[in-house]
Amino acid sequence: MIPFIELALNGIVSGLVIGLAALSITLVFGVARFPNAATGDVMSLGAFAALAGASASGTLLIGGVFGIAVAAFVSLACYFLVFQKLSSRPPVASLLASIGVAFVIRAVMGVVFGHQQKVFDLPLARPWRVLDIRFHPTDLKISLAALATLVAVFLILHATPIGRRMRAVADDPSLARVSGISPRRIMVALWLLSGAVAGIAGILVGIKTVVTPEMGWDLLLPAFAAAIFGGIGHPVGAVVAGVILGIVQEVATPFVGFTYKIALSFAVLLAVLLIRPKGLFGTVAGAR
Amino acid sequence: MEAYLVAIAIVAAIYVLLALGLNLQYGLTGIINFGHVGFFCVGAYTAALLAEKGWPPLLSFSAAAALAMLAAWPMGLISLKLREDYFAIVSLGFSEVVRLVVTSEKWLTSGVQGITGIPKLFGGLATGLPNSLAVLAVLVAVNLLAIAAMRRIVTSPFGRTIEAIRDNEEAVKALGKDPAAFKIQVLMLGAALAGVAGAFYAHYIGYISPDQFIPLVTFQIWMAIIMGGVGRISGALAGTFILMLFLEGSRFLRDIMPFISEVEMASVRLGVVGLALVLFTLYRPTGLMGDFTRK
Amino acid sequence: MTLLVENITKAYGGQVVVDHASLRVDTGGMVGLIGPNGAGKSTFFSLVTGFIEGEGGAMTLDDRAIGSLSPQARAQAGMVRTFQVPREYTHLTVRENLMAAAPGQAGDSLLNVFFRPGRVAEEEKALAIRVEEAIAFLRLGAVADTPAGMLSGGQKKLVELGRALMTGAKLILLDEPFAGVNPVLIEELSERIRELNARGIAFLIIEHDLGALSRLVPMLYVMDRGRIIASGAPADVLADPLVREAYLGGTT
Repeated sequence: MIPFIELALNGIVSGLVIGLAALSITLVFGVARFPNAATGDVMSLGAFAALAGASASGTLLIGGVFGIAVAAFVSLACYFLVFQKLSSRPPVASLLASIGVAFVIRAVMGVVFGHQQKVFDLPLARPWRVLDIRFHPTDLKISLAALATLVAVFLILHATPIGRRMRAVADDPSLARVSGISPRRIMVALWLLSGAVAGIAGILVGIKTVVTPEMGWDLLLPAFAAAIFGGIGHPVGAVVAGVILGIVQEVATPFVGFTYKIALSFAVLLAVLLIRPKGLFGTVAGAR
Repeated sequence: MEAYLVAIAIVAAIYVLLALGLNLQYGLTGIINFGHVGFFCVGAYTAALLAEKGWPPLLSFSAAAALAMLAAWPMGLISLKLREDYFAIVSLGFSEVVRLVVTSEKWLTSGVQGITGIPKLFGGLATGLPNSLAVLAVLVAVNLLAIAAMRRIVTSPFGRTIEAIRDNEEAVKALGKDPAAFKIQVLMLGAALAGVAGAFYAHYIGYISPDQFIPLVTFQIWMAIIMGGVGRISGALAGTFILMLFLEGSRFLRDIMPFISEVEMASVRLGVVGLALVLFTLYRPTGLMGDFTRK
Repeated sequence: MTLLVENITKAYGGQVVVDHASLRVDTGGMVGLIGPNGAGKSTFFSLVTGFIEGEGGAMTLDDRAIGSLSPQARAQAGMVRTFQVPREYTHLTVRENLMAAAPGQAGDSLLNVFFRPGRVAEEEKALAIRVEEAIAFLRLGAVADTPAGMLSGGQKKLVELGRALMTGAKLILLDEPFAGVNPVLIEELSERIRELNARGIAFLIIEHDLGALSRLVPMLYVMDRGRIIASGAPADVLADPLVREAYLGGTT
């Protein structure tokens, strides 16, 4: 029983991180109707930038802020340089372009940072034991950081005028034109927010495991699965689905093996699309 | 030099098979298949494993095509249910799952170590040029057959209907035709071509491992058909030619600039494919959507 | 072929778009369905042709229940629709658009394409003759080899009509055939519809614009806010105070 509780706890931690990545995807997919396959590589970039920032400044905090800023800026740059011009084109154009952007970002990371695994330089901490259940202090910090991010995003979406506009546009794209705030400002805020969230997700994955150029791409499938599972354009859904997916993946690992963890998210994605395409809370249907 | 050219021609001919299949699926029918490499992988592993068991090539190649088709069948059913962008994501996931399976099922595939010592086709012939030329001859014959079949399809009522599905699936339904059977057949046929390509690849390279079947392969084929112009057989050929120039050029570049490591070169290749996808979708949409002068 | 629609209903998120609407088109009939913008006419069409699923009510085609059939099955049963925004096959030529609409072609099977080329070629030849007749009838000869995506709005409507003809439909549902079509072509289109009706093909026509339609159809239904509020001969219906209110006092 105890190993399972440990796995489930671990699942919640990695699920929160998947949830963050899914949140980044669902924001852009829901508001801008754009399936952004570059999200994973923006995550990796955030982690690498944070690493560089941390080693230059000597503190993880400054490194983290730098990583988030780089991810947000690159996300916005992708929008202005590429994605903006594709809004009236068929989905295949957005998909291919975002995958192209993903490849370019990863190529730059590969050349600049190399392909060796890198780790964040963190003080070693002894795991806590409560009733024989082990739990790492680092995991607690990761969870708290993820939760703080979620709270911040929800505050932005619900308590700021631009956030409310974003939600309104997510519910009904035709509203974009009649709302008082210019669509351009909504889009700028949206891509910055989405990039920042992806950056945080990447940094947290990097802290929990290792940093490689491929780490973000490898999380893309679980992230899309969680975004669709939660209902496209539904931030709470993305996070809840991410946590569920994280727990399922971890708890199932002893049965299906480590490599099939990712296949599980594919199974979930498929099951959701075929059985309940609206997702847990969603309104936009992926089926026809 | 001859050996080098023959080697390139063989790889190019394998890529042409992949491009023809993807062109049938996307260029003619409008199915966004982001998992093409998955069918390629199924074909490669099927042929390699059956060759190990001593199956004659004719049978093992047929099995490679059949298994790839079998893998495409459920994908076809799924494609009927999903919006096109969601199917694209699912098909990408499918190819990643195929890679996970060949990574995990070590008892069958030796996992990440891969399968080595896959026998060359025409083992009876002297290794080197005679052998390669024989392989090339067979590949060219298979390509000509595939091109002839594609031409037949394009000019047939079937071809007209799949193009109608691409242009407007709702209208096809409104006029009383069910797109289902068409889309499933197209996915399976494209997968069969990819499966045969995989079989040739496994036998020619002699060694396969999961990391040869990454999504980058799929998007190289996408790059090829977009550059050549989708929906045309000649486009698939021209695009593959450009792709080969690029792949071989990057290898040549590394030969004269040894200070670039192979890993760095892999990154550069990835970046160039990515950049090509971005630039062509942005600035040459007719490559992606086809224009009004198709044939 | 008689189409009978009884009490069909559709709501989106609590808002009723089609509200217990009933309608009848008799064999060889010619019926119009009018109403202000947003009255639910197009939704009604989509319900009848199976593109969206309704809530309750009944639909029969020659006494056969069609409520649970797929759009393609309803089209195969002899009822074919067009779309308000034409859905031509953009890359196919006008001729190919029409040929692609022919049902039951042996050449639609890959097996036949490869193993019975003779039979496929014969069918194609016969089909080409029928298509040529349709092209001549619709006066589309000059653009027969032009990709349909390059045609004018009115020509696209003709192509859609032509495709519907090629299916051998007994009942054709036209969704705003005159919208975005220039006045000369409207007359042309009306004339073609009249001729086809004389050959026994029934029509159900949605229009927003009353003028052309009331000259064309002997029977008119009026829809407002999802409900059928009047029906009868055009002159009577248009004199109905309810209808006048819907049009003049309504959301037009």
